Amino acid sequence: MGQRIVIDPITRIEGHLRIDVEVDGGRVRDSWSSGQMWRGIEIILQDRDPREAWLFTQRICGVCTTVHAICSVRAVENALGLEIPANAQYIRNLILAAHTLHDHIVHFYHLSALDWVDVTKALEADPKKASELAETLSPWPGNSRRQLEAVKAKIKALVDSGQLGIFTNGYWGHPAMKLPPEVNLLAVAHYLQALEYQRKANQVVAILGSKTPNIQNLAVGGVANAINLDNEATLNMRKLYQIKDLLTEVKTFVEQVYLPDVIAIGSMYPDWLGYGAGVTNYMAVPDLPLDAAATEFDLPGGTLSNGDLSTARSFDTWTDPRFEKGVSESIAHAWYDGDWTRHPWDEETVPHYTDFEDDGKYSWVKAPRFDGVPMQVGPLAQVLVGYATGHAGIKKWLDYAVGQASALAKTPIPLSGLHSTLGRHLARAVRAQVIAEVSLGHWQRLVENIGDGDTEIFNEPVFPKGEQRGFGVHEAPRGTLSHWVVISNGKIANYQCVVPSTWNAGPRDEHGQMGPYEASLVGNPVADPERPLEVVRTVHSFDPCLACAIHTLDPEGREVARVRAL
Amino acid sequence: MASEPSICVLGIGSVLMGDDGIGPLAVERLRAAWDIPEAVELVDAGTPGPDLFHYLEDWEAVVVVDTVHAEAPPGTVRLYRGEEVRAVPPSPRLSPHDPNLRQAILTTEMAGTAPGEVLLVGVVPARVELGTELTPALQAALPEIEKTVIAELQRLGASASRKAHPGHSGAWWTDSPTSGGSLRDFCRRIL
Repeated sequence: MGQRIVIDPITRIEGHLRIDVEVDGGRVRDSWSSGQMWRGIEIILQDRDPREAWLFTQRICGVCTTVHAICSVRAVENALGLEIPANAQYIRNLILAAHTLHDHIVHFYHLSALDWVDVTKALEADPKKASELAETLSPWPGNSRRQLEAVKAKIKALVDSGQLGIFTNGYWGHPAMKLPPEVNLLAVAHYLQALEYQRKANQVVAILGSKTPNIQNLAVGGVANAINLDNEATLNMRKLYQIKDLLTEVKTFVEQVYLPDVIAIGSMYPDWLGYGAGVTNYMAVPDLPLDAAATEFDLPGGTLSNGDLSTARSFDTWTDPRFEKGVSESIAHAWYDGDWTRHPWDEETVPHYTDFEDDGKYSWVKAPRFDGVPMQVGPLAQVLVGYATGHAGIKKWLDYAVGQASALAKTPIPLSGLHSTLGRHLARAVRAQVIAEVSLGHWQRLVENIGDGDTEIFNEPVFPKGEQRGFGVHEAPRGTLSHWVVISNGKIANYQCVVPSTWNAGPRDEHGQMGPYEASLVGNPVADPERPLEVVRTVHSFDPCLACAIHTLDPEGREVARVRAL
Repeated sequence: MASEPSICVLGIGSVLMGDDGIGPLAVERLRAAWDIPEAVELVDAGTPGPDLFHYLEDWEAVVVVDTVHAEAPPGTVRLYRGEEVRAVPPSPRLSPHDPNLRQAILTTEMAGTAPGEVLLVGVVPARVELGTELTPALQAALPEIEKTVIAELQRLGASASRKAHPGHSGAWWTDSPTSGGSLRDFCRRIL
């Protein structure tokens, strides 16, 4: 019998995920991923006006607000067959792009870099040597010796004060930490600089949406951003140029800091290109539409099977029948009554809590499947689908990243190395780079469209008698999100959110097939069962955001974070 | 005359989780009932997760309204100041603040954007579970929360005054659909 480790909760941000792993001989032998709370948004939405659903769905998760807002209006618009004006499409795209850039930067630096970076080791660094090293990697002006000396002084002050402040939760001195002191120092410097750049990305969302994490400018049928270039209160030239400047600054940060950092850190942990593959069926949906009718997209969608690029099949539209018909959810191992596998439109939400049963029900998260098999979603899925289907931007930046990492590691890294814990980080940085570039294209389209005299932002929705069904998709920072709505006589009759973290964090299905988190952990090394940093690394590489994966309720009341070995 | 201090009143919590929505609701009530100076902002921040520190940055003072986990009856309102704010255990929210207020304050300190002062108006919840309504104990605490926030604004030098004609509350989530109700009601109906 191996040793059992429970990590609860594993995510540093909102949410509640419990991971059980059985460790035998320093390796994970079996694993279970369990969402510990249930969020039955469908119950709150029952009988409400479909035009206000987005206000509620964006409160599902404080991190994924805009994501659930926009997916919701897309679902209702799809049910009504309602097209939105081109301006509305571009304004939504700018919000989504800026939100994604913010999210990817936060994920790498503030939510997972400390799995790889040992802050205390940065104290041994020579700032001059660190600055010289940085110059070989990037032209970023924030790597000067003086700036790095200041960062080192800050860390020293923290350590001398006897507490590590914001860095308290790290695995300092863990044997799996391998970076040289200079790289640790650079990473901490960029951690601090990233606080400023994620703020800039957020400012774009704020200018268009609102100051709070919850945007206020949406409507079923378009957006509520009145356009008048000469009016201070509306979307005008000054605000448009402010948006362009901010996006340009964030793009520079991604290109000169985020992407080079992931490449450099990745090249120093080559083992981690061999761990964490798990489910290698991938799925993404197309996003950032280039026209009002959403016939062309800047980001690719599709599927591929068993890690084989030659199996790639694209989704060319949001309404691809292959996607619409292919999605189902299984509750065989989830705390709902019954053991059905159903299409989202036909689901019902009847909680049935048992207890944690390894072979029975053990999670509030359902197990989504596509054509009956588990799929990994997220930046890696989109990047691989894009690479396989010839997406120019993705090909350019993925080839660049893999080439650079190979050069630094002094050994060729094959594309198959991307099916891994580190592959997910690398793909996320590549995706951020691609999105930073195309976001400026959407800005250009918006400005040109307004320049042509088009100031339309809204088409009024009309709800006919009877029933309509619709679904909206969005390729969110954590992967494919879909909202499914059934409208009856102008009211919501059913509403289901199949969220990215459900695809990835879901439990086994009726055939016993593991979800992506679970499968990715099998075979992971664990040097110290008391401090299972390696398990944390692999789970964090998916960017878990569990407030939204879980359809909600902790039967025991409150839980405290714990890592314990059983 | 000295200029008004820049202050943010920050309501935190999930409006879909019963009593956890007290922060956002309190902010909407203040907005409807009080005239406040331009330098004071009322923000319903929902559950901002790792972005919480952004909402603290650069203000002279931030007054946070949130649920807290404390050994006291539901509806108890307590004002925390200075070091006490950092010591408050995270609220019993099911999706916990993590990083919590303490972590957010530390982040602003590292970034060099720390606010002058952070105050926490902490409210002990009765029920944090799916639903858009407050329990009676929390409903009854709203005037006390309002009084506490206004007293702090005035102490800090902001000239808040009661509106002659209160506006409509912006708390859209409390408008119930035809059925509405909490998770408990739902479970009673179906089980």
